[in-house]
Amino acid sequence: MQHAHNRFGNGELDSAIARGEAEAVLALLEPDQLVAAKERTRFGRRRLSRGVRALLWGLRLYVLFMVALVLFQVIQAVQGAGH
Amino acid sequence: MNRTDQLLEVPGGSERPGASAAVLTFSPAASEDGITHEDIDRAWDRLAVDRARRAGGHRSLLHRLRPLWLLVGPGILVFLGENDAPSMLSYAATGAKYGIGFFLPFVLVTFLAGFVVQEMTVRLGAVTHRGHAELIFDRFGRFWGRFAMGDLILGNFLTLVTEFIGVRAGLGFFGVPPLVAVGGAMLLVCGAILTSRYWTWERMALGLAVFNGLFVPAALLAHPQWRAVGQSLITWSPLPKDGLFTPDVMLLIMSNIGATVTPWMLFFQQSAVVDKGLQPGDIRAGRVDTLIGTIVAAVFGMAVIVATAPLFAHGINASDFEAAQFAEALQPHIGRVGATLFALGIFEAGLLAAITISTSSAYAFGEVLHRPRSLNRPVGEGRAFYAVLVLSACAAGAVVLIPNAPLTYIVLIVNVIAVLAMPPALLFLVLLLNDRELMGEHVNGWWANLGAVTITVLLILAGVGYGLVTVFPALLGGK
Repeated sequence: MQHAHNRFGNGELDSAIARGEAEAVLALLEPDQLVAAKERTRFGRRRLSRGVRALLWGLRLYVLFMVALVLFQVIQAVQGAGH
Repeated sequence: MNRTDQLLEVPGGSERPGASAAVLTFSPAASEDGITHEDIDRAWDRLAVDRARRAGGHRSLLHRLRPLWLLVGPGILVFLGENDAPSMLSYAATGAKYGIGFFLPFVLVTFLAGFVVQEMTVRLGAVTHRGHAELIFDRFGRFWGRFAMGDLILGNFLTLVTEFIGVRAGLGFFGVPPLVAVGGAMLLVCGAILTSRYWTWERMALGLAVFNGLFVPAALLAHPQWRAVGQSLITWSPLPKDGLFTPDVMLLIMSNIGATVTPWMLFFQQSAVVDKGLQPGDIRAGRVDTLIGTIVAAVFGMAVIVATAPLFAHGINASDFEAAQFAEALQPHIGRVGATLFALGIFEAGLLAAITISTSSAYAFGEVLHRPRSLNRPVGEGRAFYAVLVLSACAAGAVVLIPNAPLTYIVLIVNVIAVLAMPPALLFLVLLLNDRELMGEHVNGWWANLGAVTITVLLILAGVGYGLVTVFPALLGGK
């Protein structure tokens, strides 16, 4: 931020941003905040340990089972209301 | 860690010695081409913050608060957005069934848990400048990413349906036909995005969020016994008369937890932090923003319990109440003004959440498919983003207008499903926050990990408890 104000005067900075000048924009944003940078770059895959994978699978199975239970309860309630 | 040294994957880029095989070097020079409208809008926002900080040397309180004023938004919006129609109806059912007692401090604790979780999304967004969905897909791969997205899409769609139920019910109190109420709300959701400016959209949503406070005067009009309120906050009593382990109580416990801690909040706040352009130096302000949202939303949520407590006191059975019926039932006890405020509050709760949740879906869609995803984009540049936002809202609104649709059951289960889907979402969040390659010095401390793990375990226990009392009601001593 200090760099932006050193390089540009107040009015100049506003004009430079409005014109989309890279130097003015980059002075205010971090490089990886730019849209073009985000489109070109990705964070790589991390290696998952066995424990983490087991946790992910365990929680996933928990969710699937519990959602099925909730749906079963709702179906019972709907059928009960219909009688 | 200097952000310009951040290791990011570049197709065809060079490998930095010592780096993990999964990440490559990022070149700052490569970013200087292709400045977009979105970048310029974000730079304007950053310039305003920078100037406000420079001017903060003045003694005036207003000048010193201005940077905070500029930086707040995502935290307040996420919590007041989560005080949505099903949440407020859950609190209303709680107050009507059990009055002032155990659930008042319980709801407060759920908001504290929500703060612990949401604070992490601030750090994650401010440091990585990536949305939650994008990080899950990048770091854990498409297989796990699709599961996370599946939870989000299902949860968001069901929740959106309930928001329009709230809109319909809230305005129904005033005799507004469903088609007009739901159609009008859809138009407002669409209208909010026409500014093509995140800042403007955020400030409009915050203006709407203020009306979540309508429940406070409604609560005051209920003339609560403040001694009972104070006593319940300290002693967590009285407990529900049949104990905690009954299907009805467990359903409300799950529903109240789901009224505060849900997956869409993680995705929304992180994406909003990114869209707003927060940087690591803004994390403290982001925490304050989240804390303000937590406190304000907790007060408004507890106000609903207090406002509906007269129904409990007068022995009115509100078990099958739909939204509009609460306002009608309250009228003899809190007056026409109080009932009007309650109904307007339900309408606001549904409308604000319809705006924030549809935006959360659009952000996630854009991140996963690497399409433009910013409220700073004109509609023409972000067609897919805005299409998802609008279509998800319209589809949910259309369901509400289907004759004989089982809307009551959707309202009941949506918060429960949110609680059930939360543990996997929290696991992804904790893994990302402990990833030094992503977070550098902002990685989770032991207290944050302890908080997150504790909350995850409690959510799983609550889910298991709910499952057990549902299938075996007598197992835990319930009736």
